[in-house]
Amino acid sequence: MIGVIFGVIVPYIAVAIFVVGVIYRFINWANSAVPLKIPTTGGQQKSLPFIKRTIYDRFDSPYTWWETVGRMILEIFMFRSLLKNTRYYLDRVSQKDARWLWLFAILFHYSLLLVLIRHSRFFLQPVPEFVEMLSEIEAFKGVFIPSVYVSGLAIVAGLFLLWLRRIFLSRERTLSLPSDHFALILLLAITISGNIMRYFFKADLEKVKELLMNLMVFDVGKAVAIADSIEPIFYVHFVLASFLLAYFPFSKLMHAGGVLFTPTRNMPNDNRARRHVNPWDSDPSVPILAKGITVGGKTFTSKKLDWDTYYSMYTDQLDEIAESDYKIAPEEL
Amino acid sequence: MEEMPEKIEIRQRFPEWREMLKPVKKFEEGRLSYISLPKQVDSEFFKMPFGDVERDLHDLKLPENWKELFLEAMKETLEKNRAFKLFMDICVRCGACADKCHYYIGTGDPKNMPVGRAELIRSVYRRYFTLSGKIFGKWAGARELTEDVVRELYYYAYQCSLCRRCSLFCPYGIDTAEIVWWLRRILSRIGLNQRFMTISIEASARTGNHLGLLPGGMAGAIQQGLEELKDVTGFDLHTYINKKGADVLFVAPSGDYFATPHWFVMLGYLLLFNELEEKYGLTVTWSTYASEGGNFGTFHSYEAAQLLNSKIYKEAERLGVSFIIGGECGHMWRDKHQFINTMNNPPKNEEWKRFWENPDLGELAEGLRGVRFDSYASGEHGWIHILEFTAALIEHKKITLDKSRNDHWAATYHDPCNVARGMGLIEEPRYVLRNVMNKFYEMPEHTIKEKTYCCGAGGGLLADEIMDLRMRGVMPRMMAARHVYKKYGVNILLTPCAIDKAQFPHALEYWKIPIEVGGPMEMVGNALVLTAFGEKPEDRQYDLRGEPLNKEEGE
Ligand code: HEM
Ligand code: SF4
Ligand code: SF4
Repeated sequence: MIGVIFGVIVPYIAVAIFVVGVIYRFINWANSAVPLKIPTTGGQQKSLPFIKRTIYDRFDSPYTWWETVGRMILEIFMFRSLLKNTRYYLDRVSQKDARWLWLFAILFHYSLLLVLIRHSRFFLQPVPEFVEMLSEIEAFKGVFIPSVYVSGLAIVAGLFLLWLRRIFLSRERTLSLPSDHFALILLLAITISGNIMRYFFKADLEKVKELLMNLMVFDVGKAVAIADSIEPIFYVHFVLASFLLAYFPFSKLMHAGGVLFTPTRNMPNDNRARRHVNPWDSDPSVPILAKGITVGGKTFTSKKLDWDTYYSMYTDQLDEIAESDYKIAPEEL
Repeated sequence: MEEMPEKIEIRQRFPEWREMLKPVKKFEEGRLSYISLPKQVDSEFFKMPFGDVERDLHDLKLPENWKELFLEAMKETLEKNRAFKLFMDICVRCGACADKCHYYIGTGDPKNMPVGRAELIRSVYRRYFTLSGKIFGKWAGARELTEDVVRELYYYAYQCSLCRRCSLFCPYGIDTAEIVWWLRRILSRIGLNQRFMTISIEASARTGNHLGLLPGGMAGAIQQGLEELKDVTGFDLHTYINKKGADVLFVAPSGDYFATPHWFVMLGYLLLFNELEEKYGLTVTWSTYASEGGNFGTFHSYEAAQLLNSKIYKEAERLGVSFIIGGECGHMWRDKHQFINTMNNPPKNEEWKRFWENPDLGELAEGLRGVRFDSYASGEHGWIHILEFTAALIEHKKITLDKSRNDHWAATYHDPCNVARGMGLIEEPRYVLRNVMNKFYEMPEHTIKEKTYCCGAGGGLLADEIMDLRMRGVMPRMMAARHVYKKYGVNILLTPCAIDKAQFPHALEYWKIPIEVGGPMEMVGNALVLTAFGEKPEDRQYDLRGEPLNKEEGE
């Protein structure tokens, strides 16, 4: 029974929530308009030909489509902005390097990536060559028996470092919400249970794979049959992971997809070469305030100061300027 | 002028998360901006919702259904601005941005950390727009919208100068300036506007510039500048205003017409334009209608920004110019680089179109052939920064400069936030400065270029009543200035920004750093040899401040 609930029903629900949730979030973000082109320029703009730009400028203040893509790739795979991190101390002129945050983040995320890639062997038949190879390389095959996967331990270390930071650094402690701790605790629980299963209380991985393969082709009958024969320790890991999937779309973990949408990073700094059109103000010939804004059923309209209005308000002074033939010169003494 | 605080004590506090969700009830002396009066926000030319009521922070006099209106405005914002929505959703509270904010550094107030500031509204977002917030309440970091929360939102929204420094360091580019800018817009929908900025917005909507200068006053100010230049150079110079058929429209921040040290930059512009006209025949005109480059609307809302910047392209079209040059100003260039051609239709006059088909100054004045702008600009925008323009003239050897005329200055350069992080104009001013003066020194690396620290008065925070906040916010910049003052004997802090030029003199006095403030175009004006008028390098006896250039030895 346990197997059926946790091995079949729960993962199906979790995956459904995950898929629908993530798609919903993406659509939701994409549906929101981008009124202005607002890249944060982190380097020299492209301007006159003799003003040289370094390679960093080209990625930090991208002008072309390619440079912008480069900036995004550096953000996603290198956490480039985080790599600039410093800490301010009140001795005022100095600023201390704080790239350890970057290091922890990289340690965690790349371990996560490796772990996920290794997990793909439960879902794919035949297992792709590079997955096998990667596993062998990172386990230093043959050095330890049974082989020890570095990423599996590194991810736990990375998570602990990130968590300790939230517990022991005063600023980060103040900022951390329960949900921030929760995400880390959940991930720790998953990764620790995974390691325990790997090194101490072994589960039958052949059966696990069979279960997953059947779940994937919706062969529910077979899945149910296998589910009950797998060791309980597997379900600890499996249920936690399912929970993570279901939790993912509603949490800050969505930053993983969000980073692709961020207008301060994914837009080129080419405002003066190519005009950006605001979808909700696509013909701005009359300012919105002059058309009037409606709040609570009342409309508030500002009078537009076009040239004719302006001229009628200050006719005398403007005529005086016209009389001097629009020229200003020092007063004759 | 409000009293400057005698002593600054930075008390860092690290409350626990529950307290962070509770609105503060006590507002520090010197950090709370006044709320607008009806004459600013219920004016014929700038009518904001519920602007007809006089209110203060203790008695908000909100409209009856304010909560509904607030949430409605917030929902609209989430739909109208992807950045706002995304930034509500994806912050991981890693804290990388926390100590990047000069106001946090200067006040130690945890809600002045960029992420703390954003959380103030994010917590409301969670409560009303997310499932987890609705279910788990404060355990998901959500909180009710109450009048106290509105007070707090106002208090902290006006302790952010929209400098974007936090955005630079955030792994997802979360720009607290963007959040705050749209939050201010939401607050303005329930009748809360900040007085200082709306005074200027209203004036600019009514007269064309923030100072409320009428056409005669502006022409008079420029005329006085020409008279001073006659004393300095001995030549009869002139300029144009509202002139149809000029080649270029020049738009400066209105501070340049009156304030000091802005004034000396204004003299620099005038010298350059006279040399160009006399030597090459390029004509530049000012406009009384488009007399404001700065745009305080960009501190308030998209719509207010548009109301103010809508005049300029229209004026360019009316006068029939070929392109626009903009003066020295910070936020102005966020507006004139990133906003203006989205918020408005670019000019369609013949001269404009013809010029941008082949944007070579030689098309306007033969002698300037070779100076082109098409490597980065087009007729869909058409603005060139005065320092880009000057750099191009220098590179193509179109003007003659005598660096030694600036030998009495040892300068450092402050990058205005929005010029650096909203535009990327970083090397052009340095190129110009290296060509017009011999003694130029950089401040420490983490305080310049894209990492530049704010002057502490941007984004509408130049108000007198928040002097305490201003003097605290400027501290990181002042420490960097003191460093170069001690190390290299720097005696002038140059900045191409009108707000900086208003803030730094107070700040330098407060932090006891005995150096002057100026703008790069002042240095250009000093060094520029008016060859077309027959001036020789050694002829100039005075700098633009009227100081004799060749002081007696030992003075
Ligand atoms: C494109 C993919 C991703 C990018 C670019 C990315 C980037 C980042 C960055 C820059 C941080 C901040 C540094 C830190 O606080 O450690 C972070 C934090 C975090 N990421 Fe990701 N991430 C990605 C995918 C994921 C995924 C798929 C997960 C997990 C399921 C994840 C889980 C986390 C967690 C839990 C934290 C918070 C660490 C903390 O609370 O201290 N990330 N991410
Ligand atoms: S740096 Fe970005 S993700 Fe990190 S706390 Fe600040 S706003 Fe949030
Ligand atoms: S934009 Fe500038 S002032 Fe505002 S929160 Fe960010 S760093 Fe602070």
